[in-house]
This record gives sequence, structure tokens and C-alpha cells, in this order.
Amino acid sequence: MTDREEIRIQYIRQEESGYPEKLKVYKGMPKGLYFLGRLPDKDRPSVAVVGARRSDSYGNETARTFAKELAAKGVQIISGMAWGIDGMAHEGALEAGGDTFAVLGCGVDICYPAGHRRLYERIMEKGGILSEQPPGMPPIAGHFPARNRIISGLSDLVLVVEAKEKSGSLITADFALDQGKDIFAVPGRVTDARSKGCLNLIRQGAGVADSPQAVLDALGIFSGKNKEPEKILLAKEENIVYSWIRLQPVSLEELVRKTQMPVQKVLRILVELELKGCIREIQKNDYIRTD
Amino acid sequence: MFSTILSAAVVGIDAYPVQVEADICDGLPQFCMVGDLSHEVREAADRVRTALRNTQISMPSKRITVNLSPAHIRKEGTGFDLPVAAALLAALGILKEENTKDVLIVGEIGLNGKVRPVSGVLQTVMLARDLGCSLCLVPKENAREGACIQRIRVVGVETLGELLECLTDREACVKRAEPLAEWKESALEGGEDFRDVNGQEAVRRAAEIAAAGMHNFLMIGSPGAGKTMIARRLPSILPRLTMEESLEISQVYSACGLLAGKDGLVAARPFRAPHHTVSAHALAGGGRKVKPGEISLATRGVLFLDELPEFSKSALEVLRQPMEEGQVTISRTSGTYVFPAHFQLVGAMNPCKCGYYPDRDRCQCLPGEISQYLHRISRPLLDRMDICVETARVEYQELAQNRENECSSDIRCRVETAQRIQKRRYCGQNWQFNSGLPSSAIRVFCPLGREEAKVMERAYEKLGLSARAYHRIIKVARTIADLEEEERIRREHILEAVGYRSLDQRFWGR
Repeated sequence: MTDREEIRIQYIRQEESGYPEKLKVYKGMPKGLYFLGRLPDKDRPSVAVVGARRSDSYGNETARTFAKELAAKGVQIISGMAWGIDGMAHEGALEAGGDTFAVLGCGVDICYPAGHRRLYERIMEKGGILSEQPPGMPPIAGHFPARNRIISGLSDLVLVVEAKEKSGSLITADFALDQGKDIFAVPGRVTDARSKGCLNLIRQGAGVADSPQAVLDALGIFSGKNKEPEKILLAKEENIVYSWIRLQPVSLEELVRKTQMPVQKVLRILVELELKGCIREIQKNDYIRTD
Repeated sequence: MFSTILSAAVVGIDAYPVQVEADICDGLPQFCMVGDLSHEVREAADRVRTALRNTQISMPSKRITVNLSPAHIRKEGTGFDLPVAAALLAALGILKEENTKDVLIVGEIGLNGKVRPVSGVLQTVMLARDLGCSLCLVPKENAREGACIQRIRVVGVETLGELLECLTDREACVKRAEPLAEWKESALEGGEDFRDVNGQEAVRRAAEIAAAGMHNFLMIGSPGAGKTMIARRLPSILPRLTMEESLEISQVYSACGLLAGKDGLVAARPFRAPHHTVSAHALAGGGRKVKPGEISLATRGVLFLDELPEFSKSALEVLRQPMEEGQVTISRTSGTYVFPAHFQLVGAMNPCKCGYYPDRDRCQCLPGEISQYLHRISRPLLDRMDICVETARVEYQELAQNRENECSSDIRCRVETAQRIQKRRYCGQNWQFNSGLPSSAIRVFCPLGREEAKVMERAYEKLGLSARAYHRIIKVARTIADLEEEERIRREHILEAVGYRSLDQRFWGR
């Protein structure tokens, strides 16, 4: 911990006026909060986006686009800065230039996971890092389920993106249920293990988040006419290749097989599409759509 | 009486002459060997005395002194047994002096008088020829190896008795000379051919480009996708081996004693696949008696490193300098050794620890673990990989089908054409292939048109390329154009080359 960071860490007690109003309502909330940056704005709607750490590209892209669209409408995105969905949600919000807040299970001066250093710094600038743990507290597994009550408590709605049958994200959903918050889940494929948790939530009555619009409607935010995304004109062969690419990664080899075109040609088209920004290479020669 | 016999020692991969002198005189009976000898050379005294006795030649009870000159160079190895025996026989007067002139002798002797193979015979015979010798006596098992050298006679001897015969009757000896081995390239040992590879169109194409421009090549894919299978077949599409290249390779193999008992020179391009526990010294060369390492054994061929992230950091870092220079320099207190290292590096790795990313139903790795796995390979090494491609899982239909795949010899024809074009273009330069093109010369040899430059600019901005990656892409594009026998690099070539660019760690593992 550097001195500079220590100075910037602020502490606010429950009795003080700046303490989030939303948390005061419930029992068992922390007596005080440490934070870097600032606290969520109490007058603006906030949504928690949570989900699996071992997410796939479908979950990542969904979390990112949902967070991006919501943040663009002024919604504050709250999550836990973990690997996978959490991190992607923060990313999406930052991309839209929106506010985002991370609630950690360790001290606010500790970047956990360490690989999210860049993200940590950006969240600090654009929103805030919060924790009930004192500075210097290392990440202890036992502290993490408890921080989920703060994530749900701070938000008006909890959106679960990818969750296995027994997932930490479901703890957040449970807290949200106790606190009487709306819960939305993004449906996935029925055969995916990472959809089970979400599908279970939907069966129990959670809202179906089939588009960011569904979430905005639930928050009562009127969304003005969405700007039609610029249509990029694709050549015929580019369209053939593009039509085979989904949110699930597809490899060069598969594309060659499906389009029956020579590999040189497919690769040239793929690079062309990548340069146009229509697709993204998430791993060597594995591609996904970016819309 | 005093006598002298010419022999040779091999240091690194070079042979240098050694005079073996023997003197028998009156005095206390003693067998004394001098001349800065290692212990295995010193032991020659006992081996030779016993072997001579078992060949029914007894040593007189006199003072015997053997000197190996030049006396200031450390002598190592077992090749001095035979010349020491010959020198003693000459000193005893059994051999005539005129018969031991112009003869170079190497070989190890067993106690029963049998002659055993030694390493470095190829360069020893070359040395003998350069010194103007007319005859070279080597162990029988090394005779084929020595017979590859023209303008000298090589005779293989099996026993000490045979050596005696050869040195008493020169005419009979010449008749026993090994016939000059004819140079012919042979097929790969396992008969590997690209015909056996079903599917994997992308990797086949990438391998062809890599071979055509001698580019280093990295394959990424889940276990069992066929990375090793393809790497093993890469030498089969490289251009045919020439006699000069074969001699260069064979010298390294001979110095390591890997040619004994084989039929002459190395006749196929080397394929070396050291295990990932290999040490930096084993890879680059070294040891107490400095020997060439795996990268020199792979010269003019393929060095395949499977499971690239599992190799130790020091082992991988040692590759960087030889990759740039085409040779490896090893400095020890005993001297500086230079070995050839013109290898093509082929790497293979899994995308993550479990090997299944991005298939999330099977891959259980956290994003942090994935990027950690990738970070085990240093950026500078990754930057030297010109071509990078994924080996995807093969579908059952492709595996089972009996389609005729293109065979290696057809691919090789195209590769040879592309290499001919390159050699013509780079005539008079320090490098032969596109991969060796220095970035300062790219502007001269790879000019880009307006449209092509625009694509490169867009790729540079959009994909966040480094300057080095930018140059690599142009070099690969040059090779693709050469394969299509095009004078100019076109837009399509650039686009394809961008598709084979090296890993971008920033975007991976998210």
C-alpha cells in the first residue's frame, strides 16, 4: 500500500449522511464502508451485473453489451470485479463512458484478481471501489459471499448473465430476493451447464433479459429511439463467411469446411471482416461476432 | 627407436592434426604417456599393451614414451588408441617407416584387439585430405562415413591384426579401400508424408508458406489435434537436400558420433524434437567436452518444440541469438566454438493449461490462468514466430474419409519454386530467404502499392500491431506472393499474412 493510496481511501459510517441510503433499509449491512473514488449516486438507477468467472464468449459479449447499453442510458453498473462476467460488465460500462462500481471482498487497496489492474484503475477514475473490509485485508474466500449482499443492496435490479447450477452469483440473487429487488436472468442454451442457474432463476419467476431493453423497461426508463447501428455493406462472399459466425467462437477450419471455399480466401475475408470491425478474433483463428 | 604416426583430434566440430610419437629405449621398464592428456587418452597405454599381447605381439621390457603433439592442446577421446599402437609397432621395427608415411589413423581398441568406432571421422578424413595424405585408416564401422570424401582412400579396419596387414602391404591395403559413397537424398526415416493428414486445411497452407520462406512457425491447438503429426511432415516439403548442405549437417552428426554404422552422410533433412525438460546447454551445445546441441543437430532442418510453454525460460531464451545469426557461438575457458544453427523453429502449444479453451464446456481455466500460461513464453520469442495458426479438432467425417490428400512431393515443388525466386532476388545479399530479410531492406525488396499500404495502415491501427509484427507481416506476404509467382505483393497477400500474425496476448484469455 502506498501512502498516496492510503490518503485517497475514504471511510464513511452508517450514521453519516453520505452513506448509501439504499443500504440503510436492510439489517446486517456494514457499519461503515471504505471506498476509493466515490459512492454510487443515490438518485440514479443502478443495476448489478453478476455471473460466472469461467464464462464463455457468449456470456462475455452479452454482459458487455448489456452493461454498455444500460450505462449509456445513465444506469450505474455494479459488480464484483471478478474474472469473467463481472469484469466484462465493468468493461462494457466504461466503454459507454458510464459509471461503474466494484464491491470487493478484500481491502479496497488490493487489486484482486491482480490481472484486473488496468480495470481497477479505470473503475476508480470513473466510479468507485467499495468494501466493508479494512484496507490491507487480503482476499479471503469467506469474505466474498458476504460482499454479495452489498452488491445486491446497492442496486435496484440484479442481472445474472451466466451461472452454473451452484454458482456464487446465485447467492447474490438470493440476497436480492430477500431484499425485494427485481431479478433478471439472461437465458442461455438449455444444453449449456452455464445456463442452468439462469434457467432455474427464470423458472422461479425471474425476468427474462432477452435484450437490454427488457431491463430498461423494468427500471421504468424510457429509451428514446435507438440509434440504428450503421449498416456496413458486405460483399457477397464476405456475407457468406459472416453468416456462419456467431457469438460462440468458430474456428477457421470449421469455416473452411462450411463455406467450401479455399482456406486462403476464407482467411483473407476474415481479416477483411476483422478490419471492418464486424468480427473479433478471441483466440488464434477463433472468431466471434461483435454486434 | 623413435617413430611417428599422424592422427587427429576433434574439438567442437573441427578436426586438427596430432602427431603421435613413440620412443622405445633402454631403462626401467615403464609405459609413459605425455602431451596434456585427459584420463581416457592416458588409459590408451593399458588398452594398447593388452591388445598387442592378445594379437601375439609382446612388448619388450624397456622404457616406452609416447608423446602427443602439439603438447599444449588438451587431447580427449578414445581415437588415439590405434595410432598409439601403430606408433609402437613402428618403434619396434615391425612396421617400416615408408609404409606409415602419408597415412592418418584413428580408432579405439578393445583388449581383444578389436577396433571400435569413434566420433568425428568425417572431419578427420577431410583433414587428412587437406594435409595431403593418401590413405586414412578408420574403424570399420566409420568407413562408410569417411568414404564420402573424395580424393583420399579410406580403409576400415576391424582388428589390430588388420591394421598390421594394411600397413605392411600398401597394395593389398589399397584394394580394400571403401568405394566412394554416392550422394543421394533418401526419404524421411518414418516415410512421413502430408498425404496422411486429413483435413487441417489451414495448417497445411500455413506449413507450406512457412517452408517456402523458411519462416518460424507456431501451432496452437487442443491435445490430439495433430500438431506433432504435421510438424513431423514439415521436412518432407522442404527443398531437396544438396550435397553441400548434407556435408554441413553430417559434420555435426559425425562430431556427435551419430554417423557410426550408418550408410554415409546424413541423407534427409534433420527433424529434432527435444523433450521439454531439455536444458539450455543441451539445446545450444556445451558440456565439459563441448559438443553441438539440438539446434545444431537441427541445422538445415526442423527444430520442433512441443509444449512450448513447458520449456524452461533459460532454454527458450538461448534460442534467440542463433535464430538471428544462423550459428551459435559457445565460449568456454578452453576456447570459443562456433556451430551451425540454420534451423527452422516449429513450436506447438495448447491454448491453455487444460488445452480446450475456448471450448468452455471442457475448459475449466480462469481467464487469469490462461494469460499466465501464455506469459510463460517471452514476448521476444513470440515475436520471432512469423506464422501462427490454430490446429482445430478434426471432425469424424474428415478423419474417416478416404479422400486423396495432396502429397508432400507436390507441395515441395511449389516450395522449391518459391525458394528459387527468393534466391534469385537476394543474389549477393547476406540472406537467402524472406524470413532473413532485415527490416531496413523491406522497403527495397517488398514495396507496397497504394492500396496495400492502406490495408497495412488499417491493420496497424485496428489491431494494435507492433513495429516488429508489421515487418513480419510484410515478409510473410512476400512469401505468399512468391508462392503464387507474383512480382508484386497484392492486397490479398497482405490480408492473408495478417491472418497468420503472431499471438496478441492483450486480447487473449478474455
